Amino acid sequence: MRKYRQESIKVVDFSDLPFWKKTDRKDLIYVGYGLIILTLVVVSYILGALQFLPHDPQEINMDLLMAPPGTAGHILGTDFMGRDILSRLILGIQAYFLPGLLAITIALVFGTFVGILSGYWGGHIDTVVNYFSNLVDSFPRLVIILLVVAAFKPSMFFIMIVVGITNIPVVGLLIKDKVLFLKQKNYIEAATALGLSNRVIILKHILWYNCRSVLIIQATLGLAEAILIESSLSYLGFGVQEPVPSWGNMVQAGSNYLMQGNFWPSTAPALAILFTIMGLHLLGDGLNNILEWKRGS
Amino acid sequence: MSENTVLKIQDLRTYFFSRSKQVFIRSVDGVDLQVNRGETLGIVGESGSGKSVTALSVTGLVTAEPGVITGTIEFTSNGVTKNLLQGLEDFVTFETVDGRIMTLEKDNRGWQKNVDRLVHRIRGQEISMIFQNPRVSMNPFMTIGKQITESIMLNTAIKNAAEATDKARYWLEQVKIDSPNLRLENFPYGLSGGMCQRAMIAMALSSEPSLLIADEPTTGLDSTIQSKIVDLLVELKEQVGVTTMLISHDINIISRLADNVAVMYGGSVMESGPVERILAKDDEYKHPYTAALLESIPDEEHIKLKGHLKAIEGDVLDTVNIPDGCRFYSRCNRVHAKIEDKCRHTEPDLREISEGRLIRCWLYLN
Amino acid sequence: MKFTSIRPIAFTLARELVITALLLVGVSFVVFVILYSAPGDPFALLLQGQVSAVQNSGIHDSLGVPTTWYGQYLSWLGNISTGNFGTSIRTGLPVLAEIVRVAINTLYLTIGAMLITLAVAIPIALMSARQGTTAVTWPLTIFAYVISALPVFWLGYIAIYISTHKFGYFPITVGYSSSKSLGFIPFLLPIAVLGLGNGTISEVVRYLREEMERVFAEDYIRTAVAKGGSIWKHSFKEGFLIPITQIIASKIPFILGGAVVVEQVFNWPGMGRMAWQAAQDRDYPIIMGVVILAAVIVRMGSLLQRVVYVMVNPRASQE
Repeated sequence: MRKYRQESIKVVDFSDLPFWKKTDRKDLIYVGYGLIILTLVVVSYILGALQFLPHDPQEINMDLLMAPPGTAGHILGTDFMGRDILSRLILGIQAYFLPGLLAITIALVFGTFVGILSGYWGGHIDTVVNYFSNLVDSFPRLVIILLVVAAFKPSMFFIMIVVGITNIPVVGLLIKDKVLFLKQKNYIEAATALGLSNRVIILKHILWYNCRSVLIIQATLGLAEAILIESSLSYLGFGVQEPVPSWGNMVQAGSNYLMQGNFWPSTAPALAILFTIMGLHLLGDGLNNILEWKRGS
Repeated sequence: MSENTVLKIQDLRTYFFSRSKQVFIRSVDGVDLQVNRGETLGIVGESGSGKSVTALSVTGLVTAEPGVITGTIEFTSNGVTKNLLQGLEDFVTFETVDGRIMTLEKDNRGWQKNVDRLVHRIRGQEISMIFQNPRVSMNPFMTIGKQITESIMLNTAIKNAAEATDKARYWLEQVKIDSPNLRLENFPYGLSGGMCQRAMIAMALSSEPSLLIADEPTTGLDSTIQSKIVDLLVELKEQVGVTTMLISHDINIISRLADNVAVMYGGSVMESGPVERILAKDDEYKHPYTAALLESIPDEEHIKLKGHLKAIEGDVLDTVNIPDGCRFYSRCNRVHAKIEDKCRHTEPDLREISEGRLIRCWLYLN
Repeated sequence: MKFTSIRPIAFTLARELVITALLLVGVSFVVFVILYSAPGDPFALLLQGQVSAVQNSGIHDSLGVPTTWYGQYLSWLGNISTGNFGTSIRTGLPVLAEIVRVAINTLYLTIGAMLITLAVAIPIALMSARQGTTAVTWPLTIFAYVISALPVFWLGYIAIYISTHKFGYFPITVGYSSSKSLGFIPFLLPIAVLGLGNGTISEVVRYLREEMERVFAEDYIRTAVAKGGSIWKHSFKEGFLIPITQIIASKIPFILGGAVVVEQVFNWPGMGRMAWQAAQDRDYPIIMGVVILAAVIVRMGSLLQRVVYVMVNPRASQE
């Protein structure tokens, strides 16, 4: 059973409707959940950067090993060395947040540039861009990062530059599609006919009016990817090293105890990864459904 | 219902819901139609008048929600009459305010399942359809031959692939396509729009239906090809003589092919009757909308005198804000003081004013 | 298939082959640039004793290694194109033989995982494409999101824990488990973990669902239904076959990346674990070999996808 309801007989101006009435409730839930997660991540990052934590994340407490969540004073319990899990989770965001922003920035800036180049001018430029997109796509990300790790023993920032580069084709393709779509709609021709310069058309009419939602969506998905890469690398022992906390190395460090039945020290960071990545994916997909629906219908 | 009736539609309503605007689009709003055996019923009207949606509603092909909500569609073949919307009222509940549906609940999946059950062995077998834009209406991944033989094997007694291919070749010859043998192996991609439409007509006729619904068969084709397709349809009408519901906004096509005509405006039928009476400019009864429609046909004399084409004043009816009174009231040029109040506030009924001649206008209802 | 239609297809395929070859040269160059700029001059080490007499005629140092970067690249490219990837620094054995020895395990793991990913994602996508968002499909979609966000290493540990404590066997390596009676079951565990946890299920569901919905709304599907045909049969090629090959080709890199982690968790002797070990030891020839082989696998997947697309779509050869 689906319900359809028209509020009044005479509907004159549709644009007065609040946006939540026009959008699917499902997408609102997705975006709402994603925004809560994103806010939590940003606030926690700031708290961590200011060292404003409930406990010292490195403080070892041998009297309180592997305390369950809800223990007085340690709301998320303690790990196998009695360190406060909540504080370590909050501090763990430091491991990926700024490097992740770097990856996102690289992907968005160069992806946009490349997308505009191949969409707006096309021809040989498009062929070259396509070649490089396919080239970058040929490497499984984690495998090429292992090569970089072996070659340079790099920092997380350096690794995230590689992640950013591998994401350039993804953004580039989306922007190119958008430009081609606008071209097909004679949107660009009309703007050119009005005497606007290429720069104004590209910056204002293509990027600002038509591509900003794509870029926002890619930024959220990029952050999710950064978390995934950082936690996988830290898990593999190439990222952030103990005792500095990261969600990935927390899972790894807790895994030995997991085998003995002490799930929590390993599961808490795993759940942090789960809820955060899911939030960012839902935010991206929900925003995509809401902001890009005009294109579909 | 006379024995000669093939299709009888009563009070059909097909609505869509615009989520972004939170309103119903009353695309088909109380349509009554009747198609008799052997005749061609032309349905004419401007775009957005609900012609195509009516056709899709008959065969349960409306996909947008909520879709068909009320009405009866009685289809007769081999002396058996079946209501294609039988028992479907169980799936829909609605509330009206001032005679207008404002809240609607519909179990779309249950409805669609039942419609599919009711039209099973009718859709394709008894009712065939031809659509507009033939190049996108044929499956681009299958050869023309495969598509026609599939239709033959699904809908006729022929179940043997080789025989079906022979039959498909026969139908391609019937629609006068160039080199039918080659076309059997072609994909729609390699064919022109005109050839695709011929193949589509061949496919529709190949199932030997008792009713053919042609939904704007010439739209989307070049104008020279349009007239050739119409020539073909005229020829096929004489040779094959299948009962047809022909939907078009082009009065020329209607005048060449139809026996009876229904004129639609804003989701309902304004008048219907024999083609020669409806299209005659000097008929005794004439709905003001039909009159205006006929006026707008390019007419050499008029262009010479006035230097331009005549258009119908005003905009096409907004099927969201359907007025209380006559749908054509705001554009009508024949309202006079005596009936104006009725025109504005009460919708006239579609009433038979002489043999086979129905009209929905206060001018003739007293 | 008629003779007239073969020529454009053959032409398109030849073009795809050339593109693939060019991309593989590009792959080798990227790998070269990364290692050439690494500290410690790994290429000098790699090419020692590997350069033939013909190549030896240029500017070389005392060990016969070219001193210019292009000299080093070209002689290395010549070596790898004949299958000579050098010898492992750690074991001293030829790299190609080392990798091929374990590659079969990775192939087995990744192909199985791909099948599991598809087996989970396809029913959800088909159901929601046909029925829309319902009380059944919505929870399934959310389930896909949850599964895709799970960190695969944690999922692996949980799987090991459950299998050890509840079913009493411990999956150690290929061909061996602590309980002989269980046969092949231990091998299924890493495959299931990688299949579920590679993080692509929600994307696969979304992409396939959108493609199917788009095709369901095509005019030709309406024509097919109007003539009494099956909506599935007519939407199969464009709505299912083409997107599925597209998904398989584009998700190979993700599954190979996930294999690195899963092989680590399960101690699975594959390419991923070898790459991990090589990265630990800075065993360049090995990791280089793995990167290039992985890229070859990815490109082969893409090539296969293009072949299917060209064969299926009569329009493709005219594009």
